[in-house]
Amino acid sequence: MKKILSIVALAAFPAAALLAQKQAPPEPLPAKGFQVPAPKKLTLPNGLGVTLVPYGTVPKVTVRLSVRSGHIDETADQVWLSDLMGDYLTQGTATRTATQIAEAAARMGGSLDVSVGADRTEIGGDVLSEFASEMVQLIADVVRNPKFPEPELTRLKADRGRQLAIARTQPRPIATEKFVAVLYPNHPYGRLFPTPEKLQSYTLEQVRAFHAANFGAARSHLYVVGRFDEKALEAAIRSAFGDWKKGSDPVSNVPKPVSDRAVYIIDRPKAVQSTVILGMPVPPPSSPDWIQLQVTNTLLGGFFSSRITANIREAKGYTYSPASTVSTRNHDAYWAEIADVTTAVTGPSLKEIFFEIDRLQKEAPPDKELQGIKNYMAGTFVLQNSSRPGILGQLAFVDLQGLPDDYLNRFVERVNAVTPADVQQQAQKALTDDKATIVIAGDRSVIEEQVKPYGPIK
Amino acid sequence: MKSLTVALLSGAAALLAPGGGLASPAPPETAAGSFSVPVEYRKLGNGLKVVLSKDDSSPKAVVAVYYNIGFRIEPKDRTGFAHLFEHMMFQGSQNLGKMEFIRLVQSNGGVLNGSTRFDFTNYFEIVPSNALETALWAEADRMKGLQINEENLKNQQEVVKNEVKVNVLNRAYGGFPWLDLPQYANTNWFNSHNFYGDLKDLDAATLDDVKKFFSTFYAPNNAVLVVVGDFNSKQVGAWIDKYFAGIPAAKLAPKPDISEPRQEKEKRASKPDALATRPALAVGYHAPKRNTPEYYAMGLLDQVLVQGKDSRLYQALVQKSGLTGDVEGGINSGLGHMFNIDGPTLWDVSLYYDKDKSSDQILKVLDEEIAKVQTTPVPKEELDRAMVKIRSNIYDGIEGFFGFGRADLLASFALFDDDPQAINRMEENFRKVTPELMQKTAKEYLRPENRTILLIEPKAEEKKTDAKPAEKSGS
Repeated sequence: MKKILSIVALAAFPAAALLAQKQAPPEPLPAKGFQVPAPKKLTLPNGLGVTLVPYGTVPKVTVRLSVRSGHIDETADQVWLSDLMGDYLTQGTATRTATQIAEAAARMGGSLDVSVGADRTEIGGDVLSEFASEMVQLIADVVRNPKFPEPELTRLKADRGRQLAIARTQPRPIATEKFVAVLYPNHPYGRLFPTPEKLQSYTLEQVRAFHAANFGAARSHLYVVGRFDEKALEAAIRSAFGDWKKGSDPVSNVPKPVSDRAVYIIDRPKAVQSTVILGMPVPPPSSPDWIQLQVTNTLLGGFFSSRITANIREAKGYTYSPASTVSTRNHDAYWAEIADVTTAVTGPSLKEIFFEIDRLQKEAPPDKELQGIKNYMAGTFVLQNSSRPGILGQLAFVDLQGLPDDYLNRFVERVNAVTPADVQQQAQKALTDDKATIVIAGDRSVIEEQVKPYGPIK
Repeated sequence: MKSLTVALLSGAAALLAPGGGLASPAPPETAAGSFSVPVEYRKLGNGLKVVLSKDDSSPKAVVAVYYNIGFRIEPKDRTGFAHLFEHMMFQGSQNLGKMEFIRLVQSNGGVLNGSTRFDFTNYFEIVPSNALETALWAEADRMKGLQINEENLKNQQEVVKNEVKVNVLNRAYGGFPWLDLPQYANTNWFNSHNFYGDLKDLDAATLDDVKKFFSTFYAPNNAVLVVVGDFNSKQVGAWIDKYFAGIPAAKLAPKPDISEPRQEKEKRASKPDALATRPALAVGYHAPKRNTPEYYAMGLLDQVLVQGKDSRLYQALVQKSGLTGDVEGGINSGLGHMFNIDGPTLWDVSLYYDKDKSSDQILKVLDEEIAKVQTTPVPKEELDRAMVKIRSNIYDGIEGFFGFGRADLLASFALFDDDPQAINRMEENFRKVTPELMQKTAKEYLRPENRTILLIEPKAEEKKTDAKPAEKSGS
């Protein structure tokens, strides 16, 4: 062990001799082929889409109904009405109490969860394989026959009110609230939180009406991924959903996001960090630029080896958890770098983020760096398609965004076709500096002077 | 047992959005429909424990190295050092300079991370199976020794201080309950210090500390290497011999006494939170010792009391009384699950509530439910349900996070019990628990005297009327 320690001590010296002694890592073997598990698709006469994917070795199955409804269906006076309705689904049906629903799901080795998002409300769970059909029936019961028991309304609203109050104490949610409000004015995507008063004003009639207007077979898709008896399952699906009302078609309300170079400060006196969101609208997943944009994002800030992370974390130590992301909604997307940085270096952090964007706009990335990005994306693509929720999420993304059936099978091939010039061009076209909206939740008295050079302060 | 899939406190940041076997691999599925994990276990001459588990459901492999050094036993004048050191393991080794380890893994299509827990520090890579040898070589390289300088240390001190800020200091309810509760509940310093670290202690760390820590704890005879995934056992065995067998063993220091005395008096603590707007409450009970019959009984009680919406506490506190919207908890719930901890741990329950309710109201409901499991055997139907939840949870653990969940369980059983085959006996051990044992366990471990109550006092003002940002910023 002594010898090893002496090497640590020597490390302070820039010794060329040591570098020369370095061993090269063993080269990877040729990559094995990977096929995305093949889905079986069918559509019931009432319009319900069904996707079944036999997958995996452990005897479990994920069953999830995805309804094309969510915040997108809320008016400015209904923010979180969809969430309240979602909470209500598991509070009882014509034949089951809330407790019976919870116990039924638990007996299958899972739980029945409802999550409401911008474009979709998802109802389902992950259960032991032998209960796949029973889970389908339980999901059908809660979405088709919810009882909306009146006595639960006060409790459910109090719970949502508490969640709202707690979310508003945290820097990321309040920064995100401002960021989406700037990008999506007068659109549901721009309304992250209701006011507490508005939330408490919702009535049972509104909840019922929201469900009646937005839930039905034509707007829904059932995904089943895992191990299951296909014949029995298909019969159960037809029996549970075959006579569900068709309902209305999904609402298409694609926003026209706006963004102008400006800095929005949300004051958090004495905050030891500034929570920064810096981003702009970018082309949606259905755009021909999409894959190139994904590669560009990954290289710039999308993973640990990316340029922005290497800069502001590993070189400068300004932050622990920086990351850039392309956040998608239905036929819409924005790019953003998000980082919680030490208050004293808020301005310098913006400087470095813009430096990395500008550098990519000026110079195409070296081949070797780009090849590493492609390899990373090919490898993580395998991982994304190697779990039940992962596979389900990928298929649901393709469906929502209206992507071609071969999107997943051709993804890696298309990533590999991206050139250094493509990446530079995407940085120029999509990540335009003059469109960057900057939101900072932090101590205004300390950071205002620091961030002034980066745009008009609002 | 909260969830067997681990929530990671990341060292290298969250990165996805994540020969000579003694036992013959078991078939993946038995006729009864239960699932068996193939396990091959051996020790190298230098003491390194090696566990292999094949899973060729997709072309990937997990390499995980667990060192037998948790933050519990870090140096007394260096709180947070075990975790800071974890970061240093990404800063450079003999053949891989700064950022090179991470780039090597990622540019070959893999993800990686590290984390520090009560009883271990782990490092893992999930790679396409064709890059398995590369990942093994890289882990061996840093097991041989680090090559880092003052600048690397300074950089990671800043990164770790930012980690503490983002997870604890710059947010409401920071550290609740996972970082706070053990500090109030435990009396032995090893279990009760601030293991994320005082910022002062983090700043005080030197390169000398790093060297000393490495030579004390980072040796093959203090570690386990697990490989899960799509591989050829013979080939992987040969690679492991080639890269790891030559690393010298170290003389290990005796482990300090980490035991906790039996708690004889209930403790109550209150923590003002300048950023919080609603109160929160956590209750922690010292749990039974690992692998005892009572430990498994506690695991079943956990299912009955707090896991899932069918659980008694959820039903009583949420569904029936509306005192809160959710109840969380479990054994070692804050930083793992009941199987990846060795020393003293807590079974806890935590929730957020409103100012118009009192903590006593909540505790009264909790006490009523605890009294029921102490005085009345859990009915068969409910016990059956708890067992189904456990079986399902074990499957999740075995396959969770792309095979890392399996690696985590195998590493824990190898590191703490020298028995990775125990992964196939988890369900059986729960099945041995009788309703009588559950009652007895509840009487001893869910005594009020065995618990610590932590209240978060909200000190921030909740704005009654919020601005409507969407409308305001509309053009």
